[in-house]
Amino acid sequence: MSDALIGALGLGVEIAGRRIIDGVSLAAASGQTLAIVGPNGAGKTTLLRALAGLLPSTGGLKVAGHDPRVVDAKTCAQTRAYCAQKPVSAWDYRLADLGDIVGDPVGYAHWLNKLQLGEFADRRLSELSGGEQKGAHLAMTFAALAEPFGCVLLLDEPASALDLGRQEAVRQAIVSFAQAGATCIIATHDFSFAKRCDAVVVLSEGRLVAAGEPAIALTPEIISEVWGAPASSER
Amino acid sequence: MTATKAWMAGCILLAGLVLLALSVGTQGFGWGDGGSLVLLRSPRVLAALAAGLALGIGGAAQQGVFRNPLADPGLTGVFGGALFGIAVLLGLFPEAAWQRAWFIPAAAFAGALGISALLTLIGSGGSSSRLLLTGLGLNAFTAAGTLVIASRSGESRELLTNGAYGDWLGMATLELTWLPVLLCLAAALLLLPLARSLDLLSFGEDAARGFGCDVGSSRRKAVLLTALAAAAATCLVGQVAFIGLLAPHLARAMVGPRHANVLPLSALLGAGLLLGADTIGRGLWPHTPLSAAAVTAVIGAPLFIWIARGSHE
Repeated sequence: MSDALIGALGLGVEIAGRRIIDGVSLAAASGQTLAIVGPNGAGKTTLLRALAGLLPSTGGLKVAGHDPRVVDAKTCAQTRAYCAQKPVSAWDYRLADLGDIVGDPVGYAHWLNKLQLGEFADRRLSELSGGEQKGAHLAMTFAALAEPFGCVLLLDEPASALDLGRQEAVRQAIVSFAQAGATCIIATHDFSFAKRCDAVVVLSEGRLVAAGEPAIALTPEIISEVWGAPASSER
Repeated sequence: MTATKAWMAGCILLAGLVLLALSVGTQGFGWGDGGSLVLLRSPRVLAALAAGLALGIGGAAQQGVFRNPLADPGLTGVFGGALFGIAVLLGLFPEAAWQRAWFIPAAAFAGALGISALLTLIGSGGSSSRLLLTGLGLNAFTAAGTLVIASRSGESRELLTNGAYGDWLGMATLELTWLPVLLCLAAALLLLPLARSLDLLSFGEDAARGFGCDVGSSRRKAVLLTALAAAAATCLVGQVAFIGLLAPHLARAMVGPRHANVLPLSALLGAGLLLGADTIGRGLWPHTPLSAAAVTAVIGAPLFIWIARGSHE
């Protein structure tokens, strides 16, 4: 864990008396992509929020040199970016407004174009589809990490609501962040994406079932055991 | 409409409204010999402007911090809390209450802050209806408390009853209003730097914290300053609903939802709405003026229903 940009040791999360994450340990170095997979309710989102320091948790945690549960939000945000699964705004902003809100309108416009949303900059969020709104939020998240080296990017099902073109654009963005020296942690149901990552963590009922390179962590036996489905049915 | 155009239009309209308000009185229209009536009316106009400004920006801040377009310090009981604080002070210490200029504003602030804290603890984090129902419950409690105290204290009964009807602008003098006016301005100025935090909060706590917003600190500041704005406005005018609801909605319709534009424009519109309501109440019925709160409610209630329907849909 010493060279890791992000490391968790025996991480546990309890919500309303229920153990959601139970003793999960993982580590990823600069430039690595790590996929968190598991069936519905396995705890992927909770683990990602705990890694981002957004939930109270027990156990050891280090993200880009800080324990995000201890340092202030501003310091934390300089080296860690997080995109929720379904971010919803209370107000109907124009897409172009979001760059000012995130504090980097130029970077945001760059990512908006990369995600094929540049032409919608003057539209309001309510005028966009769910996938387009998710794309805008991803552009905000990417823009928040102006200098990716040494930073951690945490994305919760980033491509789930997107069309094929934007899914590929998100994959390329993640690869470019990793090549620039960031660590990318992605919670996903998409096996084809997970298999292209450097490492995979398999969760089931809040516990770590398997971890390692995709060929080791996503064997047909593990898939069958965790998902209760034959490996041939994977996406 | 761009924010600059909205500001210019708002400032020109407000300036016209101030001139109109200064020229309206119980004797009809006119400024008196050498503008003597203007001097008499100016504390009332100043009080209406400051209170409306605080109500407008306070409403925008409360809607932002609760992520709820139906939040309004009048509907969520914060004004009720401020008046209840004043009622407790007047009920327990009727003579001492007037000995220092800050006693009544402090009591109003304590009441408003107490209700804001309860509202945050019980009503936030759930649906729109949870916040509103909690606010309505707290409002009913403070209204009942104020009524009980008013009925038991002979000296302050009329004063508190007038406060509950938002009818204190008629008593405005410079001696009574200077401190609440300053507090209204201070609360408004201190709320302005929270604009970006309120924008980030609109995406939810996780997203806001993910982008570096200290959610707890921003929320505490917004609640505290909204309570201060509500308390200071209550000291000037009594209880007035709907300004804090309407001003932010009008502002968003004009310049979009970014709080850097919505907060100052809500203050400007709030000032205009309250001064307009007071001027209508005095201008149309000069001998038996209608309180600003009554005029605001006549205009605001149908608009509130319209906004609530739109929000629900």
